Amino acid sequence: MSTRGVVEVIGLLITVVALLILAFEILYVGLFTGSIGSKGEVTMHSILTTIGWLLLLVGPALWLGGVPVNIKKMVEARTGRKLS
Amino acid sequence: MYVLVILLIVLAIYVIAYTYYGRGILERRVVKASPDRLTPAWEKFDGIDYVPANKYVLYGHHFASIAGAGPIIGPAIAMVYGWALPLIWVLFGNIFIGAVHDYLSIMASVRHGGISIMSISENVMGRKAKYIFLAYVWIALILVLAAFISVAASIFVTVPQAATLSVLFMPIALLFGLLVYRTGISVRMATLIALILLVLAFIYALRTPLHLTYEAWVVILAVYGFIAAALPVWYLLQPRDYVNAYLLWAFVAFAVLGALLTAGYALTGPAYTSFKAPGAVIGAIPGTAAGKAMVAYFWPAVPLIIACGALSGFHSIVGSGTTSKQLSSELDALLVGYGAMLTEGAVSSLAVILPIALAWSFTSLEAATGAPISSALSKVGIDVAKTPTILGLPAAERFYTGYGIMQALAWSKILGMGNFETLFTTFRTFAAFALSAFVLTTLDTANRLARFAWSEFFDWLKPIDETAYRFLTNRWVASMVAIAIGAILAYPQISVYVPELERHITVYAYAIVWPAFAGTNQLLAALALLTSALWVYAVLKVRGWISLVIMAPALFLWITVTAALILWLVAIAPGLPLLYKLGAGTMVAITLILDILLIALFVYGLRRAS
Repeated sequence: MSTRGVVEVIGLLITVVALLILAFEILYVGLFTGSIGSKGEVTMHSILTTIGWLLLLVGPALWLGGVPVNIKKMVEARTGRKLS
Repeated sequence: MYVLVILLIVLAIYVIAYTYYGRGILERRVVKASPDRLTPAWEKFDGIDYVPANKYVLYGHHFASIAGAGPIIGPAIAMVYGWALPLIWVLFGNIFIGAVHDYLSIMASVRHGGISIMSISENVMGRKAKYIFLAYVWIALILVLAAFISVAASIFVTVPQAATLSVLFMPIALLFGLLVYRTGISVRMATLIALILLVLAFIYALRTPLHLTYEAWVVILAVYGFIAAALPVWYLLQPRDYVNAYLLWAFVAFAVLGALLTAGYALTGPAYTSFKAPGAVIGAIPGTAAGKAMVAYFWPAVPLIIACGALSGFHSIVGSGTTSKQLSSELDALLVGYGAMLTEGAVSSLAVILPIALAWSFTSLEAATGAPISSALSKVGIDVAKTPTILGLPAAERFYTGYGIMQALAWSKILGMGNFETLFTTFRTFAAFALSAFVLTTLDTANRLARFAWSEFFDWLKPIDETAYRFLTNRWVASMVAIAIGAILAYPQISVYVPELERHITVYAYAIVWPAFAGTNQLLAALALLTSALWVYAVLKVRGWISLVIMAPALFLWITVTAALILWLVAIAPGLPLLYKLGAGTMVAITLILDILLIALFVYGLRRAS
């Protein structure tokens, strides 16, 4: 598998893990207990939620990789320059 | 004074300024903008930073990036002088300085291939100016990061529902970007989906607070700022700021509607209290001798207090940093640059100054309106007996409490006074979330800009040692340095015993760092506007009264801020805790030295161009 392929797989895994964490914390913990974490404390649930949040920023970026094709096409049409 | 009068004056001034000064003079007579010139977003497209954007998307990005905590916290602090002086400063600064330097910075950058205002200074003031300017900007951005991390963390502790919504907001924005760029769904449909999800997230967040400590939030926000600053603009920044702009427009629209619905109420706050205020207003520790000394004279201290709402050097870095690299047409710059700055001024004047002036005296307003204000405030932990006026609250809380009261008064006229308390808590949370959204977007844009400044600063290393240059300017390395220093400054919160209140109060880092951030930022505004003015004079060859109208406010600002920073160094800095004396104090001292060097180079550049 190419380096790009490895990065995409890692990105996909991170995305899945992040979504699972957020789904658990938001849909289960948040809905059933009425809050995530306790006031004035650092709890496992609040830390997990923020970790899930940060992972969700990184995961799709690695998974979906480079510049979207429609942005590339738009720039090529306007500038006449072929992008790699 | 009635709410309606202020509303009409402010709106009329903005319409006249945009039409006559913005379009009539700056766009048509000074810059002579043309849709036929290809912008750097097209010419230098790289898929990371140079990416053309729709003008409304870019307006959203620029507005969300420039509107950080500045237009809210600053005016909220300045209300100690009464509402008239802050309002006058916001309007004057907005029209003659802030919006002008935002627009000119974007256009100067666009005409120079998307480079920063610091590098443009090389063309008009020489090579030394570029490196001095870059060093100055990098230091100023660290103070921005410190202040904004602290503000965001304190909001999340005080209103934890805003933290929940902020966490939910990012995935919604990412989804919007993926729908538009990856699936080909129309922008309109994707916007609709994103807005529906955002409303659902808001309803969820109202019922589900996310609790963490202040220190934990500082660390998490620093990690967020580090990651977000290194990701491609099309992935996070553009979609996030686009969706964010709807939230911010809603926030401003509610402010205008709220003012219209409460038009007949008289402001309970005084137009003018005093020309001087205690040192605590400009960053001294409350309760100490420096905190009590009446040294914060409105002039020259005002730029240490009101930052982005009136003007901000940070904007010129955004304008010539991320915005100019995404501008699709030169004609878009007026809306994006001048328009976004006026919108930010509207945030300060209509969403901060006006609601606080209305809700100033809780008991007077309750007596005048019959609304259950004391009861609503007690539900969020504010005891009117101990805190009879809004000035008794910390700056950020003044804002969302004032906004919440004004909106609750407005909408309970339609929905019934029985809903006042629910409306108050809903709009208070909405305002806190809007503030945190302002702050978070600015946070990662500031760190991205610090990365740009850092990379440009080391360009001299490239021909000497390319490996070292590539390591230092690697986007992950360059994203880490500034945010790490900013987080260290933002981390402490100090507990101070105030004898007058007979209790300890918590002083968040932003209250101490704020004047240093605001001062260096405003000085940067003066320097950026002077650079732009010199560009207009020397490169565009614009002379006469138009040139003078651009240059005179810049010189006035330069004198004001230099005097204010010297005042802060002499009267405030010596009494601060060691971290801030050495950290913020040293940074301000260095920026003052760099400032003197830059003004000398400006005079040299002006004489050479004459």
